[in-house]
Amino acid sequence: MNPLGREELFSAFLDGELTTKEAKFVNEILAGEEEAMEEFHGIQQVRKALRMLPDLEIPGWLLPDGHLGEQLSSYLDGELSAAEQRRVSDHVIGCADCRAELHDLDRARIAVRSLPGVETGQFDQIPVIPRSRRRRAVAVGSIGIAAAVAVILGLAFGGQQQPTISLDDLTTQHIARASAEPGFAVFPAGIEISAP
Amino acid sequence: MADEFTPSWEDVAQRYGRKIYNFAYRLTGNPDDAADLVQEVLLRVRKGLSGYRPGSFEGWLWRITRNAFLDGVRRKSRRPETTLPEGDHHALGSSPSPDEVLASVRLSDNVQAALLKLPYAFREAVVLCDVVGLTYDEIADATDIPVGTVRSRIHRGRKMLRGLLTWPV
Repeated sequence: MNPLGREELFSAFLDGELTTKEAKFVNEILAGEEEAMEEFHGIQQVRKALRMLPDLEIPGWLLPDGHLGEQLSSYLDGELSAAEQRRVSDHVIGCADCRAELHDLDRARIAVRSLPGVETGQFDQIPVIPRSRRRRAVAVGSIGIAAAVAVILGLAFGGQQQPTISLDDLTTQHIARASAEPGFAVFPAGIEISAP
Repeated sequence: MADEFTPSWEDVAQRYGRKIYNFAYRLTGNPDDAADLVQEVLLRVRKGLSGYRPGSFEGWLWRITRNAFLDGVRRKSRRPETTLPEGDHHALGSSPSPDEVLASVRLSDNVQAALLKLPYAFREAVVLCDVVGLTYDEIADATDIPVGTVRSRIHRGRKMLRGLLTWPV
């Protein structure tokens, strides 16, 4: 048997794939040849490292009862890769639960993003990095995503009247409460605002 | 494994989805490609189950998986991408110490990077044996090559890895 053929028995020996006769032959080689033993230990070490590779968890949404979870927010924000976006779109179209969750998340996201800007007054000097520079690439992709979301949500909830949050009402209530309650603070206790 | 009954595709997804995902991830080092493969395999299983005749179900499944993988490789061959291992950030486990985690991540990153350098035939044989856990006979069945060739590929693959890995890791 040529040396490579002999060595091949080492892997098969470790994997329990040899006949009794072959295993006996390997034992004899290992007992009598230091070089063969060194080769055997090298293969054993590699095999161990391979088998110690972590057993990766399959993304839940790939399974029949799996849902998208936090991927939905990333999807709305345009933070997924093109392949992930496509997969999320495909899943949402066929999954009522994820469509409903996407709809709720989208409403919450719109409400938060519609909050009025704070009057900065003396903080006007603070430099602000233009949003368009920070996320230009994402913004371009978001146009497509927003359109896809609109289509998906339109398909799922078309014709339903969703309750809307009036920000003007909220602001008016807040001002009225602040006027009526001298102790009512915009910022939580313990936070002091000072000039820069 | 000789099965008496034909499982539903949902059963296949639950029982084998993770193995297929790990197989694909170790071959590509890319979670997107791994997820694509799982979807493609489950689609093919769904279509093919009606024509499946009870026998070696795992052999049938891994042939589908392998063919789906190779089809994907062929599709991408016109626009090759560099696939870099992203680390095993979504691996399961208990709560090892930070040092153990770092050592484990370093080791698995090294092994993953080395795996990607192997020629496909050797990588496939090693992954099916050491990651998926198939026997030599099952690998021969799935890849349609003689058992002797499987044995040779596994050993030569490990030998190549030994040369690629830096020890101690």
